[in-house]
Amino acid sequence: MTLRGVCAVIGVERSKLAAQLKTRLVLAACAAGPFVFAVAMRVQSNVPADTLFGRSVTESGLAVPLVVLGFAALWVFPAVASVVGGDLFSAEDRYGTWATLLTRSCTRAELFAGKVLTALGFSLLAAVVLAASSVAAGLLVIGGQPLIDLSGVLLPPRQALVRVALAWASALPSAVGFSALAVLASVATRSSAPGIGLPVVIALTMQLYALVDGPEAIRRSLITSGFGAWHGLLAEPSYYGPIADGAIVSGLYLVVCLAIAYRMLQHRDIGG
Amino acid sequence: MPLALEAVGVSKRYGDRDALYDVDLVVRPGELHGLLGPNGAGKTTLMRVLLGLVRPDAGTVHLLGRHVESADRRVPDGVAGFVETPAFYPYLSGRKNLALLARLDGEGRDAGSGAGVNDALDAVGLSAQADHLASGYSAGMRQRLGLAAALMRSPRLLFLDEPTSSLDPAGARDVRALARRLADAGAAVVLSSHDMSEIEELCATLTFINQGCVAFSGTIDAVRALAPPRVHALHTSDDRAALGLARHRPGISAAPVAGGGLEVCGHDAVLDEYVIALGCAAIAVRTLESRTRSLESLFLQITGNADAAEVRTARAEAASGVRVPAVMS
Repeated sequence: MTLRGVCAVIGVERSKLAAQLKTRLVLAACAAGPFVFAVAMRVQSNVPADTLFGRSVTESGLAVPLVVLGFAALWVFPAVASVVGGDLFSAEDRYGTWATLLTRSCTRAELFAGKVLTALGFSLLAAVVLAASSVAAGLLVIGGQPLIDLSGVLLPPRQALVRVALAWASALPSAVGFSALAVLASVATRSSAPGIGLPVVIALTMQLYALVDGPEAIRRSLITSGFGAWHGLLAEPSYYGPIADGAIVSGLYLVVCLAIAYRMLQHRDIGG
Repeated sequence: MPLALEAVGVSKRYGDRDALYDVDLVVRPGELHGLLGPNGAGKTTLMRVLLGLVRPDAGTVHLLGRHVESADRRVPDGVAGFVETPAFYPYLSGRKNLALLARLDGEGRDAGSGAGVNDALDAVGLSAQADHLASGYSAGMRQRLGLAAALMRSPRLLFLDEPTSSLDPAGARDVRALARRLADAGAAVVLSSHDMSEIEELCATLTFINQGCVAFSGTIDAVRALAPPRVHALHTSDDRAALGLARHRPGISAAPVAGGGLEVCGHDAVLDEYVIALGCAAIAVRTLESRTRSLESLFLQITGNADAAEVRTARAEAASGVRVPAVMS
């Protein structure tokens, strides 16, 4: 496996994604969605009071990205990770193009690495677009007022913005973990429907498990545990243990899922 | 001169069925080698093994002197081809598809406008449709695009699986001419086809595969020597008398055909004597038409039944330089 080969695959995958409507739609939704939410909050009297920072969305624009982050953790991250990660491998089965790819000068390892990096990159790009759009929407539509954190401390706008950015960054490992899960589903099933659907279903199942009174060890081993770890960043004093735990769990999911997927692809016979 | 392709003892098993069993194949540079066999014989599986798409259970494959079952399973430079109807991304144009494949071959980002892509499109007559979406391509156009994708690798060993199956006669002729030009330039071409006249016209050597085994491998001339007598359709002025005459001549078998005429089987020399005898007997020959070509006769015999295989094996024992394994007898 060479770096040049991996970069060539990434370039090809990026060109393919750029030519597909679904990826443009996802990015457009990530860019526009927070603005729609912020405008809706501004023009209506009700606020999402049962959501963290939901009561503050009309008082500080910096609450908007945190509410969006809470929602994204439920649905958006797993779905966005699946749209590309869950389809990048199985699309070759759907179009019958594995033989076309594998009769060029790139190895299976290079193809795997290039596709995985593309999938992870897209997840991160979508998360960054969503985060940037949420912050921009909050500041432009609601305003840059100070934010009251979970301990009731008033955070100046600059400090709040840093905490918001760190909160979004803390969710990225879990988003990457879901991308790896989607890649595994895509490689294992060779079908885009489970590739895209399974990670979302798994995310929902994990979220539901978090609501029941199950063993703590299992709860902490769920990939979704990292999505709520940012709460510690907006408390006084801040605590980082859940973020570290979430990153470790996501890392384990990443390594295990990709190792299994890689082995499957390497040993696969490309038939008709 | 080193071999372009050398496969030794290649076997592949799916469940309890041998898709390939102990297959040997040798192709030299500049050689057009035909791969023949009935549906399900293992031709496509063999092509997939040779291109590294399917891992064999046993055996070794060397392409252009390089062992393909090395750790990275990279198809060596100079090796190209496609298996079955080539597939492309339907949401991209033909040109864009080729440009992406060129990038995987190490070309730069602007490969789509490069000479390699344009030359390949010109060579297969697809330049006019190159900027159309591949989703609108017919099977024949996809075959042309597959051939263009192969040509971009400047092949010294080219695998073509049924390359003319979806083409119109003019397109098929162009592809045959292209294959011949490549071979004349020193490339080895392995051509899988059901069209026996195509193989007979193009290839100097061929391999018959049946039930996953090599049933025959050798030159076209060797095939002709091994081929069973051709079957001819004969219409005369007096079919009954012609049939009676045939029954008294050794080496000729004849049978009446529903609707008139006879079906006559015999080697060319014996058949010539029979036709002369008909004339001497004042029986006019109105038509004498070959029903099968020599290659087709052998194909039908090899793939037909055990008795035929025994005949072939017995004949093969007298032939030199021809491999006819016992598994078919």
